[in-house]
Amino acid sequence: MNSVGEACTELKREYDQCFNRWFAEKFLKGESAGDPCGQLFKRYQLCVQKAIKEKDIPIEGLEFMGPSKGKTE
Amino acid sequence: DVFHPWETVTTAAMQKYPNPMNPSVVGVDVLDRHVDPSGKLHSHRLLSTEWGIPSIVKSLIGTCRTKTYVQEHSVVDPVTKTMELKSSNISFTNLVSVDERLVYKPHPHEPDKTVLTQEAIISVKGVSLSSYLEGLMANTISSNANKGREALEWVINRLNAEIEEFAASARGTMRNSMAAAAFVEK
Repeated sequence: MNSVGEACTELKREYDQCFNRWFAEKFLKGESAGDPCGQLFKRYQLCVQKAIKEKDIPIEGLEFMGPSKGKTE
Repeated sequence: DVFHPWETVTTAAMQKYPNPMNPSVVGVDVLDRHVDPSGKLHSHRLLSTEWGIPSIVKSLIGTCRTKTYVQEHSVVDPVTKTMELKSSNISFTNLVSVDERLVYKPHPHEPDKTVLTQEAIISVKGVSLSSYLEGLMANTISSNANKGREALEWVINRLNAEIEEFAASARGTMRNSMAAAAFVEK
């Protein structure tokens, strides 16, 4: 599956793999502390936000929250 | 009912695309994701969909306007075992908007099954659908007839496809029968 920004697809895939594993093996089993995917997510996010601005996609009501919000606290 | 346990269904729902039932989804991105103070996982995702568009129309409107985007917000609560998915489409034309809400929960009596409740709300912005199409008709007759006919064909197909796509997957209540009635007239 591709990303909306063509350049972001590889970053997306790395993040997705990490997330899907954490989601099924940790989060659903009640261990949500310690998200190992933070760094991958940050890099992927920067790329996506840039692509969305460039393509002028009208995303409503969504502030791009900083990557550290709510993650490790 | 879905014949799988809730954990399986939820994990699959997070990785729903690509799949052959939704061939028009060409891109999925996570815009934001975080665990809230109560332990629920929130994800905001952007889905990009591409409809088959005749190249003559593409040359008129430009390729960057051929995608429809769907914004999806999901909340997964691993304690109550509930997954809620809300999505609405955003597109440059904004003619038809479809809001969908799905809730996945374990079956109350059979732990290997999941119950899905789904509703879709289809609304047409601006003028009523049937008069929009009539207006378009009048315009195309007075301008270049061939080009107009193809563009209209594309608009109708696109609207049909948008509505049918959601109608086919919605098992819950469909509101706004005006949209459905307008297509019966076609």
